[in-house]
Amino acid sequence: MNLKRILAVTSRESRGMVRDKLFFAMAFIVPSLLILTFGYGLSLDVMHSPIAVLDYDRTPMSRDYLHRFIDSPSFSFQGFLKSERDIYPLLASGKVRAVMIIPEHFQKSLLAGRPTAVQTLIDGTFPFRALTVKGYVIGINNAFNMSEFSRYLSRTAGMSQERALSTLSPIRTEVRCLYNRNLRSDWSIAPRLMMMVMMICPPFLTAMGVVREKETGAIYNIYSSTITRGEYLIGKLAPYVLVSICNMAVLWFIATEVFGAPFRGDRLFFFAASILYVICTTGIGLIVSVMVTTQVAAALVTFIVTVVPTVFYSGMFVPVGSLSQAGRIVARLLPAMYYTNIVTGCFLKGVGFEVLWSDALVLAVYAASLFMIGYSRFHKRPAS
Amino acid sequence: MTKLARVLLRGMTPLYLRFLVWLRRLRVMTVKELLQFSRDGALILFMVYAFTFDIYLAGSGVKLQLNMASTVIHDNDRSFASRELIDRFRPPVFNVEGSISRADEGTHLLDHGKTMIVLDIPPRFQQSLLSGAPTHVQVRLDASNSVLGMFASSFCRRIVESFGFQTGLKRLGVDPRRLQSGPQVKDSYRVWFNPNQDDRWFMSIAELLNIITLFAILLPACAMVREKERGTVEQLLVTPLTTFQIMFPKVLAMAAVILAGTSISLFGVLRYCFEVPCRGSIILFYAITLLYVFTTAGLGLVISTIARNLGQAGMMAIITYGPMIFLSGAWTPPEAMPRFIRLLMLLSPLHYYIDASYGVLLKGAGLTLLRDSILGMAILGGALFGLGMWRMRRQFQ
Repeated sequence: MNLKRILAVTSRESRGMVRDKLFFAMAFIVPSLLILTFGYGLSLDVMHSPIAVLDYDRTPMSRDYLHRFIDSPSFSFQGFLKSERDIYPLLASGKVRAVMIIPEHFQKSLLAGRPTAVQTLIDGTFPFRALTVKGYVIGINNAFNMSEFSRYLSRTAGMSQERALSTLSPIRTEVRCLYNRNLRSDWSIAPRLMMMVMMICPPFLTAMGVVREKETGAIYNIYSSTITRGEYLIGKLAPYVLVSICNMAVLWFIATEVFGAPFRGDRLFFFAASILYVICTTGIGLIVSVMVTTQVAAALVTFIVTVVPTVFYSGMFVPVGSLSQAGRIVARLLPAMYYTNIVTGCFLKGVGFEVLWSDALVLAVYAASLFMIGYSRFHKRPAS
Repeated sequence: MTKLARVLLRGMTPLYLRFLVWLRRLRVMTVKELLQFSRDGALILFMVYAFTFDIYLAGSGVKLQLNMASTVIHDNDRSFASRELIDRFRPPVFNVEGSISRADEGTHLLDHGKTMIVLDIPPRFQQSLLSGAPTHVQVRLDASNSVLGMFASSFCRRIVESFGFQTGLKRLGVDPRRLQSGPQVKDSYRVWFNPNQDDRWFMSIAELLNIITLFAILLPACAMVREKERGTVEQLLVTPLTTFQIMFPKVLAMAAVILAGTSISLFGVLRYCFEVPCRGSIILFYAITLLYVFTTAGLGLVISTIARNLGQAGMMAIITYGPMIFLSGAWTPPEAMPRFIRLLMLLSPLHYYIDASYGVLLKGAGLTLLRDSILGMAILGGALFGLGMWRMRRQFQ
């Protein structure tokens, strides 16, 4: 290892990067832009779901029932339908997400102490959304039933309505949502987005940088020089790691200041673990760049290899424990899951080294082995 | 040949012959692009990976619902009533993994991410229920994932509520069976288009659309920028080809490649592995996909007129790809977005494409229902293509 040669490659690479002004600017703009758009755009709060109603009853009671839905912030009422034929086009075109059908004799049955049935048709295209809408409907319906039943009891059994109500709901449920008391989706998503963005951008930068030399042939200068491959790789990757560390700091700032996510853990530990992670993802870029020969392939491959596994197999939306057996294995094989543990631990849970040391260790091993593979696959004398 | 002679000759050549030449030029250029594409082995390999395994991964692993949430019980009562309540926390939603005897053990498990829900049942729980005194249970849950936290919270509330309701009825001497005849609204549901709420359908289609988008932006943009970076565009410009004849074959070739990939994925993964139905016309789906690829390729061409090298083109593709997905409405529905973003969504071709493809595949929608989406794509595509051509011409003349 000759430090002078490493520094020469580093300074050459940094100069090349700085001189390509558009590329350089974007190296900094892309991560921030991604976290901002996804942070605002990936809100999974289901609110104001458009709903339409087919009311065959049209009585004060059916209106009272419906108003519990219309006045709720979960739904946005789109109007009454005239016949069942209107339902399909509305649901199929996505103009409404649910249609409620209230039968005839709704009021008559309830007043006579008999059950009645309301049917809800839900657009199941996105099961998550259908499930949430269903949950809202059940909740509102249960509340209505409870008040209706207690009114009925007070009428028939002669107890006060309040007493009936307290007898029917004797247990209070105290739900304490730890780490994210108000269930804010931006709190939970913003730190994880740091993980995702830092999984996409560093490999992209690195792969494009290394493959450009291969595609334009500039790498033959390296092949024919005295520099060793280790020195070349370290010198070449150092500027990209540096840029990514700066980006990491910017992302941290955006997550805490713009999205207001609380940072409760140990800053020093988080910083160290983040550097490890950035080195890891840069290593992925290195592996991609030794595999492909053109920049088009480099761009596409890094994108495909990084995005899907990090979004779906990292615990970003779905905890790793809820994945299928095969999914859990995929998750364990990738660095993203370990860094997700670190990010959520440091941000929301406020735990540090004592809990997360094993995740940090895996990242370190990962980074080292990626560089070993990259080193062994990179040859100064290409096969062909 | 003098200029005059050429003009005369062109005037004499019949129209159909000129059209034949035009077509042949288009064909030659398209074949050139396809050849160039076919020589990049790594690219083809990963394209196949993207259209098969990647979509399989995205479709199979993910369930955006509470699924076997690990639950730990802290039962201070150990009575008949508490056991009956615990028994209601069942798979597939909950997975009771054990019980603890001290409250701080629960905190420890939650902090280490070993469990998601801790249910605390207070002492004298049964006694209170029998005597009619109000009591409470505590649910502590890991809400670092807000979506699952919300699901868990509403599930737990519902379970405890219905348990309390039934014990309350029993105390009043009402037979729970009589409940069937009490005044109540029974809510029944029919989930249309995906009756079993199979997440794989949504996820795999969404991923297919994302992959199509990625390739439709990047491939034409890169094909164009590569010519610029290597200087071969100068050669093309001195040929008799028009700007349109240079640009359009790139889009044509890449559209063919993307449609091939889409077919592999549609029949090999979506239909075969996930049993995604195709309720509408499959020809309509292909037609819409083709239109979408052209629209998005227009975006790629605009990028290619701005970028000087492939590095820049790739960066710009990511910068447009991210917001496109965000503005597509697949994850966040339009109604949950602020007003100005809803207006911006009208500018995202993916927004129309997602509506149209879910419409055809899952909902069985036909042309009349999808008219707006198709129109939106066509208008956007025309505008983007026009802009790309205009910038290209300006750059090289």
